[in-house]
Amino acid sequence: MKLASDPEVEKFRGEFAAFLDAHLPSEAEAVPRPRSSSDLPEWARRWQRTLFDAGYLLPGNPPEYGGCNATLPQQLAHQEELSRRRIYPSYNPQGVGIIAASILTFGTEEQKQRWAVPILRAEITASLGMSEPGAGSDLAGLRTRARLVTGDSGEETGRRADGGDHFVVNGQKVWTPGAHDADVLLTFVRTDPDAPKHKGISVLLIPTSTEGVIRKPFASIVGPDDLDFNEVFFTDVRVPRENLIGELHGGWAVAHGSLGHERSMLWLSYAERMDDLIKDAPSHEEWFATLLMDAQALRLLGYRQLSGEREPAELSVLKLLGSEAVQAASLHVLEAAGPEALLHPARTAPPNHMSLDAFTASWFERYVRSFAGTIAGGTSEIQRNIIAERILGLPR
Amino acid sequence: MEFEFDEDQRLLQQLVRETVAKSRTLPEQQLWATYQDLGWLEAPPVELAIVLEELGYAADPTPFLASATWFAPLAGRLPQGSGTGVFDGTGRFVLDADRADEVALLTRDGVTVVSGPELGAERVEIFDPTLHVAHVDAPDLVAGVPDLALMGLAISTVGSCRRILDLVLGHVKQRVQFGVPIGSFQAVKHKAADMHVAIERARVLAYYSALTIAEDDPDRGRAALMAKAAAGECQQTVFADGLQLFGAMGFTWENELQIHLKRACAGDLLLGTAAVHRKALVA
Ligand SMILES: Cc1cc2nc3c(=O)[nH]c(=O)nc-3n(C[C@H](O)[C@H](O)[C@H](O)COP(=O)(O)OP(=O)(O)OC[C@H]3O[C@@H](n4cnc5c(N)ncnc54)[C@H](O)[C@@H]3O)c2cc1C
Repeated sequence: MKLASDPEVEKFRGEFAAFLDAHLPSEAEAVPRPRSSSDLPEWARRWQRTLFDAGYLLPGNPPEYGGCNATLPQQLAHQEELSRRRIYPSYNPQGVGIIAASILTFGTEEQKQRWAVPILRAEITASLGMSEPGAGSDLAGLRTRARLVTGDSGEETGRRADGGDHFVVNGQKVWTPGAHDADVLLTFVRTDPDAPKHKGISVLLIPTSTEGVIRKPFASIVGPDDLDFNEVFFTDVRVPRENLIGELHGGWAVAHGSLGHERSMLWLSYAERMDDLIKDAPSHEEWFATLLMDAQALRLLGYRQLSGEREPAELSVLKLLGSEAVQAASLHVLEAAGPEALLHPARTAPPNHMSLDAFTASWFERYVRSFAGTIAGGTSEIQRNIIAERILGLPR
Repeated sequence: MEFEFDEDQRLLQQLVRETVAKSRTLPEQQLWATYQDLGWLEAPPVELAIVLEELGYAADPTPFLASATWFAPLAGRLPQGSGTGVFDGTGRFVLDADRADEVALLTRDGVTVVSGPELGAERVEIFDPTLHVAHVDAPDLVAGVPDLALMGLAISTVGSCRRILDLVLGHVKQRVQFGVPIGSFQAVKHKAADMHVAIERARVLAYYSALTIAEDDPDRGRAALMAKAAAGECQQTVFADGLQLFGAMGFTWENELQIHLKRACAGDLLLGTAAVHRKALVA
């Protein structure tokens, strides 16, 4: 245990900080705002590509994939420098953080070049299609069906057969943030309806321009023009076999990998929200002390997790603690503001051109968005189940 | 920052765990002698926290905590025999003041060390019969709680809470109702998960406090307040959920759960509760 960080890490931090000072897009450039999580205005594309070319997009990756082979503590320093300045590296965060990362882990060399690199270079954007109307927390219950068929006759090649040159997809996804602006969807589909439910799932990259893909954005609780969520319908959608990511029927491993990518640094986004509240709503009330403690504890748990000797299940502790702490603090801030908090839309902090407008929006919006933290990526209840069963060993 | 134990710290933790488990039934004097032989009183802050967490887990009956974290930081040395410190300005509810060989007093004129037997502080009856607490009557006392004392009580309390959770887990895995172990009920699981999170949160804050003391970091004062507040909050969750999940069995004198519940609760109440330290953090 020591407070000081490694000289190698500090050197990296200094270089990155200097890079940010030199290359940050100006406020004037960044006027067109991203309207969904897969919408990249031109300046945001340039920004993401600048980071990619410099090896600062996903610094843990090798240079050909937007990194500089940074160590874990260096990656944390990278995140800290970004969040301290409230800078978003990519406005297609799931495309970069989950989808490209999954392709790099599970995809073939060709798939990496064809899909991951363009997503990382902000040439295309990607959204994540896991959830369905009937499959939320119970993701493995998903029913969107993909049949592996051969030729134009569409003859099915048999239940577990490996033959066939394309898939035909039918079904529906929901939530799928940014789908209406995305070029491609990482889609979890059922390829073997007769296998146990975890064993019949596969993952396909489905270009949104494919015939039979219909996207219907719908508004969130925040307002009628907050269009990020989508229903996505698939009707006889033909997907070439080479768009299969990972093994046929091996989608559960990819799901775990994707969520692993998402969760391993997810706690940092809660730490950022807490830092925002600490800056934007300082108080001498006791709840503010709780917020300071939660923020400090979350960082410490995060640093400890980074040692690499911790069980992945322990990330559930970070997710639960972080998301619920943000929510509790946001409620206190809302209440502290009193009737002023009724104003919506409103600005509660100076807007920052390099981060999302949502983070400086009305107190109500900031509070209500904290529920994304306790619902998405495995609800708080599911995290408690994981902690009880996998860490504490209670019976299923 | 590196926030994981290094190899030596891990070995120490293992040694303390083994020693404490082995010597559970030894009389107090022998335990005290063992701790002294092993040099635990001299341990630097992070290592001391490792020892104290395990002693908290074991509901240690010796005056170790008071000697290492109440006497030592005040007097600037270890006690001859056992010791404690008076530093809250009131002299009330001083840990081990009735049995310490030496008592360090924080007064308007600085620190003076007096002989415990000569001071003759009388033990106060409290809800935790395993804990020695006494009122000290001395002139000109002033307040100046050492960071180490807050950290020490915090990590000991975390140790008690860990013990409570372990007892609860053992209980809910084995107690059968409605034909299944009660640990398979989700209401039970979620309480257990909340206890775990509260412990993890308080634990890292206590070690952070120890680390800032070890490195004399400018954040040490704030870190000690956080550690003590978080340990108190942790205790509140773990006490309530722990007792509830044991059912009536937890409500008995015979069940060892009570010992650790009381230790944990006392750890919150001594040197200022969670609320007191939360207020101090934002004053
Ligand atoms: C902001 C946001 C972004 C999202 N992004 C994506 C995305 O990119 N891609 C995607 O595919 N999906 C996305 N989702 C959907 C998200 O994954 C689901 O909302 C989530 O998995 C929960 O599913 P559900 O909403 O159907 O709730 P349900 O599963 O119906 O749960 C409703 C309630 O029941 C509880 N519950 C359910 N099962 C259990 C259980 N076993 N034990 C105890 N309680 C239980 C839940 O905790 C919850 O409180 C997003 C959602 C939000 C809000």
